[in-house]
Amino acid sequence: MSTQAAPTTVYSREFATGADLEPAANPERRVFADRVAHLYRQSILGILLTLLVGVIISVELWAPRYRDVTIMWWLITIAIAAARYGLYRGYLQRTDHDEEKWLRWMAIGALAAGVNWGIAGAVFFPSHTDDQQVFLAFILAGLISGGIAVFSSVWWTYALYAAGIMVPFIYVLAAFGNRLFAELAMLVPVFYVANIAVAYRLDRVFSSGFRAKEDYTRIAREQDAMNAQIEEQLQELLNARREVEASGRKLTLFAERAPIAVLEFDANATVLEMNPAAENLFGYAIGELIGRNGLQMLFPVDEFGVNDSWWRDFVSGVRPATLDRLRCIRRDGLEIMCEFSFTPLVNDDGDVISIIAQGRDITQELEAERLKKEFTSTLSHELRTPLTSIIGSLQLINSGVLGDVEKDMSDLTMIAERNGQRLLDLINDLLDIEKIESGKFELSPQVVSLDSLLRDTLVLNKSFADRYNVRLALAEQLAPTKVEADPKRLVQVATNLLSNAAKFSPEGGTVDITLELKGALVRVGVHDRGPGIPEAFRGRIFSRFAQADSTATRQKGGTGLGLAICRRLIELMHGSIGFEDRPGGGTTFYFELPALNENAGANMPQQGALQ
Amino acid sequence: MTAKPLERVCYVEDDEDIQRIVRMSLERVGKMTVEIVGDPMLAIDAIIGFKPDLVMLDWMMPGMDGPTLFRKLREDPRTKDLPVVFITAKANPAELAELRSLGALGTISKPFAPKDLPDQLRALWNTLR
Repeated sequence: MSTQAAPTTVYSREFATGADLEPAANPERRVFADRVAHLYRQSILGILLTLLVGVIISVELWAPRYRDVTIMWWLITIAIAAARYGLYRGYLQRTDHDEEKWLRWMAIGALAAGVNWGIAGAVFFPSHTDDQQVFLAFILAGLISGGIAVFSSVWWTYALYAAGIMVPFIYVLAAFGNRLFAELAMLVPVFYVANIAVAYRLDRVFSSGFRAKEDYTRIAREQDAMNAQIEEQLQELLNARREVEASGRKLTLFAERAPIAVLEFDANATVLEMNPAAENLFGYAIGELIGRNGLQMLFPVDEFGVNDSWWRDFVSGVRPATLDRLRCIRRDGLEIMCEFSFTPLVNDDGDVISIIAQGRDITQELEAERLKKEFTSTLSHELRTPLTSIIGSLQLINSGVLGDVEKDMSDLTMIAERNGQRLLDLINDLLDIEKIESGKFELSPQVVSLDSLLRDTLVLNKSFADRYNVRLALAEQLAPTKVEADPKRLVQVATNLLSNAAKFSPEGGTVDITLELKGALVRVGVHDRGPGIPEAFRGRIFSRFAQADSTATRQKGGTGLGLAICRRLIELMHGSIGFEDRPGGGTTFYFELPALNENAGANMPQQGALQ
Repeated sequence: MTAKPLERVCYVEDDEDIQRIVRMSLERVGKMTVEIVGDPMLAIDAIIGFKPDLVMLDWMMPGMDGPTLFRKLREDPRTKDLPVVFITAKANPAELAELRSLGALGTISKPFAPKDLPDQLRALWNTLR
């Protein structure tokens, strides 16, 4: 017995047969298991017959002088029957598939049963009358023959059983001294061999029968599996069909309800199908267009877009095409500008079956775009012109070239000039952000010497910083550092950062400007000692109209667009912009740009402020 | 081309307010002699009569815009060598680049600072040396 707590299978309810083995087991093993199982199934019959025949013999051959011998024989018979029954139970309860072991035990049981009958013959035959001897011989012959039914599924178990009966009986017959018995003793082996031959034949029949059964079981199992598979596939097909139907309905719904026009053409540009949006777009009812040539009906005016040669190239190219400006003609003769995409559908052979065209009217969009452009241009010119007069006049007065002005009056003209300038800044910022966000912003990139650009910017912003009594200090010995950028816009960014830093610095403070080479990037830092960026404002500092608090606008000026513009400008120049807290208080704003290769060998000084 | 200082400037501009400011700026701050022309159609004759060192043109004017006037000046043998500076509120980079390629000396964007305008003009003038 195994001591492991491995899970075991108990074949108790049914006779274990080859069918209980794993389907993958060797078919011959399964046939063998069936034969052993048959032996055990028949063994109960054998035990019952043994007991029945034992009773008959005991009654028929009873004599008081053989009382002890008979009792002894019965004890042995019952012991063997009990042992065989125990074996039968054990087989039913077994947890293994060691068929050879169970066959061995069955063979031992068969031999024991046979020998028991042999001994009965040997003991009772010589001592009884002629009639009784004939009866006994008949019974023994019957037992030998009957054993075929019980043991023949494994022929050699029968051979052992029959030999157990025959050998003691032959000995008694031969030793009896009677010529007839001696001849009988010689005939019994022949009878035995004949029986063995029959048992062997039956064994073969059993084997082929069981083999047929195993084959049938296997085929039935395979059939079941196949049926299950077919059923599953059928179900999948059914599901797939439902899905196809559903997606077909969905597609129809999409096309019907879609706000964009969808048309289907064949390879010759004949209209096959169209949706209601296409009807609306072109003003044709479905019936008026289907079967007609789409090129002639819908796109006759476009000499550069969809014409015959374009269509031929498109169909032979078998690639989707998108035309973002396509002139189309409506049924009422009105010309509209559309955006269309054409997608060819091809079969497995690569032939175009149809072309799906999807499009929409963009006439109004284009008009709106034109109006916006015109508006922007007008805004730019019409606002700046009067501002030129306003700021210019005030500047001339404030500069003193026209003579001295009374103090109160000069204070007011100063205020007017400053606010005029603010208005101008706002207009410039709005125009910038509009251009950037509509993608129309054009940079003029060139190789820029960043160090000299910073020096120039510092000079430009000096008077602004003076107004706040703040000093702008450039780091010592800026090595020549080149980047590819738009210098005018870079000055705009640097100016914005410098003016912010100056505005938020404490009076008498210093703003340090540094230039560092960080690997492949150049970083320009503007460091102030201001109050720092409030926590709640950090996330949106580079958003439009972002200011820490609305009073700042009044106190410090600015439009709230400056940093948003800076970020977009720097990003357009393939750089990045950010800020960080400065150790010891204040904030560092920086931007980084890709350095040009010639900087690689440059010996960059460490950051430091010019005293 | 020239070593003489910038003294005579002719400005073609339709907006009277800006005319006055530019005149004050150039005369009082820049100590220059200034001729203002309000109608671009009369500009070429006025320029020929005034003989300026440098011409300033507004960009957008009724009747004829600055770039058209500039091209006309370039076509006339009497004015074709005059340095021309544009003063403009409208700065389309492509158009500016085209004008520079035609020989415009430079552009000054509106609004300009009147106290700096003479310096800006002189700086452009000096690039001719």
